[in-house]
Amino acid sequence: MDWLTTVDHKKIGILYLLGGTLFFVLGGIEAMLIRLQLMFPESNFLDAQTYNEVLTMHGTTMIFLAAMPLLFAFMNFIVPLQIGARDVAFPFVNALGFWTFFFGGIMVNVSWFLGGAPDAGWTAYTPLSSSEVFSGKGNDFYAVGLQIAGLGTLMSGINFLATIINMRAPGMTFMRMPLFTWTTFVSSLLILFAFPPLAVGLFLLTFDRLFDANFFEIGAGGSAVLWQHIFWIFGHPEVYILILPAFGIISEVVSTFSKKRLFGYSSMVFATLLIAFLSFMVWVHHMFTDGLGPIANALFSVATMLIAVPTGIKIFNWLFTMWGGQIRFTTAMLHVVAFIPTFVMGGVTGVMLASPPADFQYHDSYFVVAHFHYVIVGGIVLALFAAVFYWWPKMFGRMLNETLGKLAFWLFFIGFHLTFFIQHILGLIGMQRRIFTYLAEHEGWAEMNLVSTIGAFFMAAGVILYVLNIVITSLKPRNASADPWDGRTLEWTLPSPVPVYNFKQLPLVRSLDAFWAEKMAGNKEMTPAEPVGPIHMPSNSILPLIMAFGFFVSGFGFMYAKHDFANDFVRMLFENHIVSIGGLVITAICMILRSLIDDPGYHIEPEELESKGVKA
Amino acid sequence: MSSHAHLENQPLPAEPERATLEGRNKITGFWLFLAGETTLFGTLFATYIALRNQTLSGPTANELFDFELVALATFILLVSSLFSVLAVNAMHKHNVKALQFWLFATVIFGLAFLVLEIYEFNHYTELGHTWSKSAFSSSFYALVGFHGAHVAFGLAWIASVIGQLFKKGLTTVTAPKVYVSALYWHFIDVVWVFIFTVVYLMGKVG
Amino acid sequence: MEQRQQQAAGTPSKVKRGPVHEGMRNHYLAFVVSIVLTALAFFAVMTPELDTRFKYSFIVILAIIQAAFQLFFWMHLKDRGHKIPIMFMGSGVLFVVTFIIMAVFWVWW
Repeated sequence: MDWLTTVDHKKIGILYLLGGTLFFVLGGIEAMLIRLQLMFPESNFLDAQTYNEVLTMHGTTMIFLAAMPLLFAFMNFIVPLQIGARDVAFPFVNALGFWTFFFGGIMVNVSWFLGGAPDAGWTAYTPLSSSEVFSGKGNDFYAVGLQIAGLGTLMSGINFLATIINMRAPGMTFMRMPLFTWTTFVSSLLILFAFPPLAVGLFLLTFDRLFDANFFEIGAGGSAVLWQHIFWIFGHPEVYILILPAFGIISEVVSTFSKKRLFGYSSMVFATLLIAFLSFMVWVHHMFTDGLGPIANALFSVATMLIAVPTGIKIFNWLFTMWGGQIRFTTAMLHVVAFIPTFVMGGVTGVMLASPPADFQYHDSYFVVAHFHYVIVGGIVLALFAAVFYWWPKMFGRMLNETLGKLAFWLFFIGFHLTFFIQHILGLIGMQRRIFTYLAEHEGWAEMNLVSTIGAFFMAAGVILYVLNIVITSLKPRNASADPWDGRTLEWTLPSPVPVYNFKQLPLVRSLDAFWAEKMAGNKEMTPAEPVGPIHMPSNSILPLIMAFGFFVSGFGFMYAKHDFANDFVRMLFENHIVSIGGLVITAICMILRSLIDDPGYHIEPEELESKGVKA
Repeated sequence: MSSHAHLENQPLPAEPERATLEGRNKITGFWLFLAGETTLFGTLFATYIALRNQTLSGPTANELFDFELVALATFILLVSSLFSVLAVNAMHKHNVKALQFWLFATVIFGLAFLVLEIYEFNHYTELGHTWSKSAFSSSFYALVGFHGAHVAFGLAWIASVIGQLFKKGLTTVTAPKVYVSALYWHFIDVVWVFIFTVVYLMGKVG
Repeated sequence: MEQRQQQAAGTPSKVKRGPVHEGMRNHYLAFVVSIVLTALAFFAVMTPELDTRFKYSFIVILAIIQAAFQLFFWMHLKDRGHKIPIMFMGSGVLFVVTFIIMAVFWVWW
């Protein structure tokens, strides 16, 4: 029950970890189905319609429901600790963000059981996705489900920003924040500006599909390319929303396990900000073949190539951090060292794609698929695994098994390159994206697809070992110390796992790498910035879950308003919008209750703190 | 959490909305939300601008829009926004009665705006300018309708704040609510400045 | 001018004098400016002699000025402690400019 009503950022972080892992496994199964279907030419393991659904759901699930929540898990758990705060700025909204994401994810996936999943690709181009003539009801679930999940993400973005702006410990200026906090800040900035356009786009799509609007209806004067603009104005910043926190993780791990401060801190911060702003100026590079013309294409081509520069700065800074350091190849560090060349490979194919004349050949081929899997899997997923091994002791008080971890890594890493490197070649010799099968006549396609699928089996084996590691470790006693890695940042000053109030006394920060600075000055602990006193904590609440559920119900109401139900009573409920409005009323009532009833919270008294801390 | 400022027996500070961490967080968080709303409305404006000439056989902007009605609505909303300035000013002077009065005036004028807009939309539908008529009509109602929905939400919100002031008085807990709802209300008016310019005036220019 | 009125719900108050309370004059100014700019825009559009292109640019500039007055005065952006809101709103506006360019140039051609 505590988990359903918690407003504690640490528990919410763990909820995101669980939810994200669940959807990661789902997306992984979808990936295996794709690879199984493409293993042999002219296979009918999956028919075309099912393949389109699996393909769409693989992309949608992995990006929105796996990668984002897993990154949020660490952002939620770690950032308040790194800035010396006791929670985020809006704990209630934090919980609401999680439950909204969760119900949104359920809604998208429940489509499997209600007539078919979305089938227009994760990009849902119009008019394929906007017309019920061309695409099935599944795309309603896409539009409405992602709308709900997107609300949660936006809330969390605002939460992280306000937290980092207002709640840093005394002495922690912006330029003394750890890189993971900085990248969380900038990523949240991107969320703040990129998710509203997505919300608008999804609303327009929903209105076209469910309420006879004409935004994308060519016959009524609508524009199909408008969807592409709106989607990619969101979509391109989205991929930077994903990669920036991953970059932050790399920075943390690389400096800890090189026993050296991060090289070029200011330039890392500057590069992160530059990447963020540029990411809003490049979206048309997904649309080079739309015929917008040479001027538009040239402008966006240059802007896209520019983004490679700050990213390159980061790569060099990581390498220079390692140079001359005392490197320890823990499992986390292994993932980071693998990330660097792999991500660079993904980055350079990105620069290749940035050239419009070349892109006319690459577009919609497997070359693009190879590129983005290199940056997303070789980038984000490797960073996430690094984060898991690095921060597990802090989150759960246990050390994951290093041997199992390294074995899992090698299986996953070898499998990854097997699967995706060859897809560059497949793209160059002409294999198109999103095709459900191919003819045997195509020279080399069958052999390469087979290799690609074998790689997928390796990756699956790796993932199983990662999960096994977690299960085995959970059965062991809590044996982790507060600072198993000889860390540099504030989270390592706290016990493992962390008490509910985080800091008994808020720390005084005197430098970048706050904890390391104290260690170098001969101190075992941080200097406190306040006396020991009663700590005020926010109360738990069931309202976030109910509010999210209200959105969920309302979404169904809108989607099924015109559905021909067999049962007259049910039809009456939906037709008259009782369900759709009712769901919103549930949410509204919760909002009103939250506003009218002040939360006094509860206090933890100093006596309880002195006795080894209070565990929730 | 850092300790609440339990100020029951202390004088109310000059800027009560900023006196607590929670209050400052709310104000910061709300400005962030408004920044996100700029891109939200920005996308709706972009959609409208892209589709404004796709009227098909329906009435055009020039045929539909009426200068007097738009001018009246603009004036009403502007005055309503001024009233909320007066409300916050009263709050800073700790004059709860004046604060409640000006908030009430804000709501009345806001309601007048909304009523006028509903009448306007109703009139348009009679002229054939319906939601599903054309791309122009869909994008018109999306943009102006979304703004109207924001107005309606704001009215409910401010009404709830008025109620809370009656029940709990002006405290460091209710003050941020007043301040933040006023920020919201001003933002709604700023968006309207661009709506009457881009939608109505440009529509009349042709 | 505004009369300083004591007080609120029963608690004794030490009302600080200072910039916070001299501001009403600027708020009324912003109101008058808004009215004037709005009226100017309406009259410009209602005047047939003016060139269409001029009308478009003129009313947009008027709108930007009016929005600036409301943001900086009514929403306190000109007061101290508003660096962060200015940075974020400014970024939002910048991004919106790119959306408008998209809508004008790259949807129909």
